[in-house]
Formats: sequence, structure tokens, C-alpha cells
Amino acid sequence: MNKWLLSMLGAAALLQGCASVPRGSIPVVDQGSAVSNSERVSANRNTAYRPPVARAPVQAAPEDSGVQVMVPTSSAPIQASAAPISTTPITPGPVTNGPAYTAPAPVQPTTQYSAPAAPSGIPSASQASGGLSADEQLDGPVLALLTTAQQQQGGGDLNGASSSLERAQRIAPREPQVLFRLAQVRLAQGDAAQAEQFARRGLSYASGRPDLQARLWETVAQAREKQGDAAGAALARKNARG
Amino acid sequence: MTRSRSPRKPSRSSSNRTRTWLGWAFKLALVGLVALAGVAVYLDAVVQEKFSGKRWTIPAKVYARPLELFVGQKLELKDFLTELDALGYRRVPTVDGPGQVAVNGSTVSLNTRGFQFYEGLEQARPVRVRFNGDYVGELSGGAEKLPVVRLEPLMIGGIYPKNLEDRILIKLDQVPPYLIDTLVTVEDRDFYHHFGVSPKSIARAVYVNASKGQMRQGGSTLTQQLVKNFYLTNERSLSRKLTEAMMAVLLELHYSKQEILEAYLNEVFIGQDGQRAVHGFGLASQFFFSQPLSELRLHQVALLVGMVKGPSYYNPRRYPDRALERRNLVLDLLQEQGVATPEAVAAAKKMPLGVTQRGSLAESSFPGFLDLVKRQLREDYREEDLTGEGLRIFTSFDPILQMKAEAAVSESFKRFSARKGGDAMETAMVVTNPESGEVQALVGSRQAGFAGFNRALDAVRPIGSLVKPAIYLTALEKPSQYTLTSWIKDEPFSVKGGDGQVWSPQNYERGSNGTIFLYQGLAHSYNLSSARLGLDLGIPNVFKTLGKLGVDVDWPAYPSMLLGAGALTPMQVATVYQTLANGGYNTPMRGIRSVLTAEGQPLKRYPFQIQQRFDPGSIYLIQTAMQRVMREGTGRSAYSVLPSTLNLAGKTGTTNDSRDSWFAGFSQDLLAVVWMGRDDNGKTPYTGATGALQVWTNFMRKADPLPLNMAVPDNVTLAWVDAQTGQGSAEGCPNAVQMPYIRGSEPVPGTACNAAQDTPAAPVMDWIKGWLN
Repeated sequence: MNKWLLSMLGAAALLQGCASVPRGSIPVVDQGSAVSNSERVSANRNTAYRPPVARAPVQAAPEDSGVQVMVPTSSAPIQASAAPISTTPITPGPVTNGPAYTAPAPVQPTTQYSAPAAPSGIPSASQASGGLSADEQLDGPVLALLTTAQQQQGGGDLNGASSSLERAQRIAPREPQVLFRLAQVRLAQGDAAQAEQFARRGLSYASGRPDLQARLWETVAQAREKQGDAAGAALARKNARG
Repeated sequence: MTRSRSPRKPSRSSSNRTRTWLGWAFKLALVGLVALAGVAVYLDAVVQEKFSGKRWTIPAKVYARPLELFVGQKLELKDFLTELDALGYRRVPTVDGPGQVAVNGSTVSLNTRGFQFYEGLEQARPVRVRFNGDYVGELSGGAEKLPVVRLEPLMIGGIYPKNLEDRILIKLDQVPPYLIDTLVTVEDRDFYHHFGVSPKSIARAVYVNASKGQMRQGGSTLTQQLVKNFYLTNERSLSRKLTEAMMAVLLELHYSKQEILEAYLNEVFIGQDGQRAVHGFGLASQFFFSQPLSELRLHQVALLVGMVKGPSYYNPRRYPDRALERRNLVLDLLQEQGVATPEAVAAAKKMPLGVTQRGSLAESSFPGFLDLVKRQLREDYREEDLTGEGLRIFTSFDPILQMKAEAAVSESFKRFSARKGGDAMETAMVVTNPESGEVQALVGSRQAGFAGFNRALDAVRPIGSLVKPAIYLTALEKPSQYTLTSWIKDEPFSVKGGDGQVWSPQNYERGSNGTIFLYQGLAHSYNLSSARLGLDLGIPNVFKTLGKLGVDVDWPAYPSMLLGAGALTPMQVATVYQTLANGGYNTPMRGIRSVLTAEGQPLKRYPFQIQQRFDPGSIYLIQTAMQRVMREGTGRSAYSVLPSTLNLAGKTGTTNDSRDSWFAGFSQDLLAVVWMGRDDNGKTPYTGATGALQVWTNFMRKADPLPLNMAVPDNVTLAWVDAQTGQGSAEGCPNAVQMPYIRGSEPVPGTACNAAQDTPAAPVMDWIKGWLN
């Protein structure tokens, strides 16, 4: 009897040791590079969207040194800023450094501009994502998808919201409202650089929609603040106020 | 965890001798029992280990973009029906279930199947689509209007491991009516009553085989069949048979009949697709009928179940007669056993086999695009995760555009091959949506479906004049020096290059054109003026522009690079032109949108990213010049086929002796790059205009995209100029045309002419026609 028990136990122990652990979870390694690339959605994420703090400590931003109008090396630069440009910071000028186009801003360094304590008249990010403004009447598929995205964002599912907005963007690639929301979600995801890009892309389609332009500029401002560009942010705020 | 039930036999005897003998016997029996118990314990562990863990490795499945439906969407009815056919929708008079479609004139009623996407579940629902010309005019579900509906995406392939086993996992509640009953009736009538092995079946099999004198019938239960497929090799021996029986009993001890049945449905081998083994009813249903299993009807169920006995022998594509006979035999059996009514069986027997021409999942359907997807995935995932975890890969692939691209290629090549030298030509094509940066179609060879050298990704060829927009864009970024109407010289010159060689470029049509407008150099692809302009700007600056457009080149700064001696792949060219097409915003090319786990949980997203690389004003100007290419320059033959309302921009490219024929161009929402040439780099009779442009034009005709329409940026002004002199003019003046300038660089306006002011301001695009008249 003992022998039997012993060998049984031995065999059982041996086999138990041989059996491998059940593999339940999926061992896929997510090794994306970009910040928003490596998003992994877990069932309940509690990274609720927090509107970015509107005020980075901007102390009398040194406008004249921070932002420069880049002029061609030759004489007689075309000063587009001479013409009244109301809605865009983009003026012609050669891009000198880096692959990315850095929009030269039409600045006449006149008065020192300090960021207001609370941007007045500008809807804050939380308000902006709360509902569509009155002058932005959308309908059909875009409205439906923006609504879905808003619900997802409200529930903390930023990736889902992002995905829905990209779906909307494919349906209405030139609707600035979609690009605005996309910028907002990128901001919430912590991708300020992309937030700025989408907001600027939105601006290129937003002519004749002053409210939306103001919000897009405000988003640009927030994105620039997050990237440590206080001067650029102040400038964008100035544009936001028209 | 492990249990062993070996009976212990108490033995008592009075005789010593007997006792001794019995003692020995007892000990021997004990040893035997221990050995048997050991085997049982071992097998038990094996059975449980594999069954309770992850039972199968499932290859990643790759899906096309889901077709979105919404009012105002541009979609041709015939393309919509093509998509539904590919998805295996069944045409019926009245729709009453998922996967069915009824067409009534320009109204299509269907019931979608529902699908788990990254953003959430798309419910299966009845949908009615009314077409209004080439647009969706109305979209409703029942009584309510629907804002947007997504079809389920077409599966375009998988990522297969070495052993090439493939399956689509199904659950018991997803099986169609009759399947379980048919399977049990045909394969194992005692399934619900036996304990893994069925002595009754074995006896019957032995009797049948003995009386017929040959192996006609196996006595294996479903459980045994599962054990055999799941754990054992195909070897035929008594010991294997015993092992199989023991494991079958052990399996039944631990698991319910339902679990065993479900495993069987997923495990069973039902066909071979080239190198790929088709396992389980889920995949078999897609493979043979292009339909989800749950939608199968009696005659289809009977066929699949009948095939279990001999998947090769009863292959319905190869041996339709045998398969039909077998199917009807199964149907008879169902009637005999009372599983199906005589009426149902009679109706089913009247049905044709109904298998699709070839497996719609065939690995080779769209190998070019799949190749792109796999390369991207391999950067982010380990091979075993791709081939084994059942990931669901969602891509931007558009099967409708792909088919149009393939058709454009094959039609054009039919004409090409009539001409000498056309036979050895190869081609590649990349189709993207510039507004989203997504790759929508990809052709890697002139033979559709050919999985081999993927020229779209791997053919590195000199780009010829495709480089020229980079030169002109570099110039137009300096509005103080260059405008579209700046005068430039198109005259012969020689220059000593960095390699010490004297370089004397020539125009394609020889000769020179004197002093021309800057834009004309690009429109007509003049080499002399373009090269001179590039040299004035500095070759490194042109390379810098190329880098900003999306491709960092390490070409030597030789003057010949200005005429496209540098080589790129069609995909790289697409990246460059995409930035031109999308207002100066660069987008990393994407083929994949998102990845879900096998369970439908979001895993990874490949988000839309943009980066502004150029001032929109200079992009507006270069787009204008590239539109001139199409209207009056080297690309103008496109408009002999395409409607003049379709505004397009593009550029031809031809290398020495026409070794490479290129065309890259775009509309508002569609960009295509076409390359043609020989793999051995031999000469061809085709230039960019007579070769690649023809394929491109043919494709654009089929795809019928939206006209290019870039919003005029704020820093751009439209000025009236004299078409002959380039001097400022005014509206209504003779020869006056409107031309875009970066604000401040426009010529001084001319004085108003007395001509009547009643002619409305010609839009920029109409201006084009009168330009050279």
C-alpha cells in the first residue's frame, strides 16, 4: 500500500511539475514608439480627462525674442504681416531650421503681453468639450460620431474617442469641428504637439467661423503651453480673442 | 488535481502456498496497476493541460476598412453590391436575417451582421439604402433615419505560422440549426450516452467491416476523433488506439458533452487551401461559402458535415459530384432519423452545392497590401503573437479601389503588350487618401494576386521628373524671388558637377524654349529651366525640401539629381506627393488603424498624425503649377479620358531611355503613384506620359474621385495678370487671367481696361482654358 501511495504521489508530483501554467492572458508585447501609439486600453481606466491648466507661469513673455518673423536672406522681404491677417499666423518665409514648418508669427512687438489670469470670453477646454456651440450646427454622420466620441471621452475612454473622431475625419476630412475635437483629445492624451497640429489644421478650414476659430486658437495656446512655449501660447491667445 | 481510480482487490486465502502465489500475483498486479495508473495520470495531465489552456494558436486576421454608409456619401450602387458579394451576402427577395440583401432598383435592403470594432460594437441591424445617382440619398433602419452605418469589414487574409493551421473560433451558441444534430447523427449517434468510447459502435463497426470484408466503418466516437486530432498523431496502431480510448474516457470525466462538442467543432479538419489547413466549421463556412457559420442553411450544413469523413475525397470544388452525392446521403439520413422533416430535406436536396469559386480568404488575394501590413506588424509584435494569438488587425485597405487599380493595370497592359517591349514590363501602384494619410490599395506586380517581389515597396528606381515639384516648391517658398509667373530661362548650359564631370542637360524633346514663366518649366517638364532653377536654389536645399516632403535622401549632390537620377520606391514617392496633396501637412503612411485581441479587446491603435511642413501658401502655388501639368503640360492626355470638371494635379516622370515610366498625381481625396519599367532595368518604349499616366488615368476614371479643391490660404491673393507678359492687368482686359500669388508678391495691378465689366470673374480653374489661346 505504501509503495503504491508513494509511487502515485511521486508520479503525480512529477506530472504536476511538468504541466505548464495555463496561459490565459495574451502575451502580446506592445512596443509602439510614439506616445499615442502605445496606448493600451484596459477595461476600466480612470484617467479622466482633466482640462489642462490654462495658466502656465507666463511672466511678461519676451515676445520680441521668443517669436521672430523669419525673413528671406535677400533684401525686400515680403511682409505679409503688412496686410491685415486676421485668422492665421502663417506668413510666407523660408523655413530655416528643422523639418517641421514653424509658422512665423506676424508680430509687431509693440506692447508687452502678459497672459491673463483667466482667459475671458474663451470657453475653457472643459466647456468646449461639453457641447457643441450654437453657431456650429452639424448634422448627420459627423454629429453622430462627435456625440459618440464625446461620450467616450466623458467615460475616460480617450482611445475610443480618438478612434471615433478619426472615423469622423475620414467621413468629413475638412470639417474643422472634427479637427478641433481631435486636438482636444490629443491634448487630454498628453500629446500636445499633435494637439497643436490638429488645431492648426482646423484653422485652415475654419474661415468664417469666428467662434470656432477662437476655440482652435485657445487649443493651440494650451498645446503650446504644454510644450513649454509660453510666448507662442500668449500669441495664440491673442489670436483667440480676435 | 489528478485522481486515479484503480480498484483494489482484497484477497484472503488460507493456504500458505496459495497465499505465496497470490502474494506474487498481487504484487505483480500491483506493479501493473501502478504502471497503468501512472499512464493514466500522465494522460490525464496531458488531456487537462491542453484542454484547459489555450487550445489553439489562431493566426492574426487582417480586415479591410469597413464600408461606411451615410447620406451624401459618394458610392456607386454597383460598387456597393460588389462589396456585399465579397462579404457573402445572399440575394433574397425579402430580407429576414443577417447576411441577406434585397435589391430593388436603386434601393438596397440588407441586414448587417454586426461586428466588434475598436470603438465599440456595431450592432447587426436591418438597413435600407436608397441611392441617388452615385450618392447615398437615404439611409434608414426600419422607420428611423440612420446617421451612419458600418458594414462588417471584409477579411483579406491572415498571418500564418509555419504549420499553416487556420481556424475561426466559434461558440456553441453561434452554430446554425441542424449542425449539431446532423453531426451527431452522421458521426456518433450515441454521443450523448457514451462515456468517451462506445462499445456498441465498435461492435457495429467490427460487424460491418467483417461482413463487407474491408474497412468500411470506424467505431470512433466524436470524443475519440477529437482526441485523435487534438493530441495524437495519425499513426495507426493498437497502442495508439488504446491511448486514444483512455484519453477519450479521461476527457469525458473532466469535461461536459457541450465542451467536447464545441472543441470538436473547432478542431475538425475540413479542407485544404493551398498550404493552409482549414480547421473547424467556422473557417470552413467562410472558406466554402463566404458566409459566417451561423447563417448556413440545411443543405450547406449537410455538405460540411458530410465532408468530415473525407475532406479531400469530398472536396466540393474539385469533386462536385461526389460532394453532392455525399451531401444528399447525409440529408437522407437526417430524414430517416427524424432530424429534419421530409419537406426540409426535399428542399435542401434541390439546392446546388453553393460553394464559392475559390476560398475568399485565400492568402493570395491581395498579397501586396498584406505584405505592407505584415511589415508594419512585425515592427510592433513578435512573430508568435501574430501567428498564434488570434489578433484582429483593422486596416485602411479598400477592396473596391484595389479592384479598380488592378483592373486599370490589366486593361492598360493589354494595350501595352500590343506594342514591342510591352511584354517584359512590370508595374507597381500605390493608392492613398491624402486627407487621412491612409494606404487604400497597393499593386506590387502587373499580375493581380501575385505574391512575390513587391515593387510598390521594394523597387528602388530613379524617379526622373517626379523630383521637379521639390525644385519648384523650394523656389516658391521664396516669394520675394519667385512667383509662378517669374521669368526663367530654358536655355542650354553646362556645369561642372561635384563629381568633376561636365554636365549638360537636355530637354526631352531636345531644343530649348527661351524665356518662360516659372510654372511652365514644371508643366512641360523642361529639363533645362528646371535644372538651372535647382542649381540657383542649391541642390542641398532641394534635398531639404524632399526631406520635409517626407523622404530623407542621401543622394550625392550631383546636378543630375535635379532631373531625377536619385532613386525611390513608389511608396516613398507616395509619401512625398501626399504632403503636396494635403496642404503641406505630412502624414506618416498608415495601412493599419487598430488591433484588437481575439476577444475583441482594444490592444493598440495607430493614430492619425499630421505635421505641418510647409506654408500652405506655397503649397497652394505648387498645386496650381501641378494642375497646369494636367491642363496644358505633360499630363494633359488624362483629360482626353477624364471630365474637365475633375480638377487634378500631378507630374510625369521618365528616366533615360524610358527605363522608368512614372506618374504621381492626386485629386482632393485620392492619390495614386504608378511606376512602370522592367525588372532588369532594360529600355522600354514608354515615357511617363505614354505609360504610367495611362494606367493612372484609367484608374482615376474608374475611381471617379472628388476634384482637387484646396481652400485659398489667407496669405494667397488672386491677381489679374497678362497671360503674355506676366504684367499686372485687370479684370476684363484682353489676355487677363487670374493667378495666385503670395500676398505682396503679386505684380502691380494694371489699369482697368474699357472692356465690359459684365463678364463675371473667371474662377481660377476656368482661367486655365484661356491661358494659351
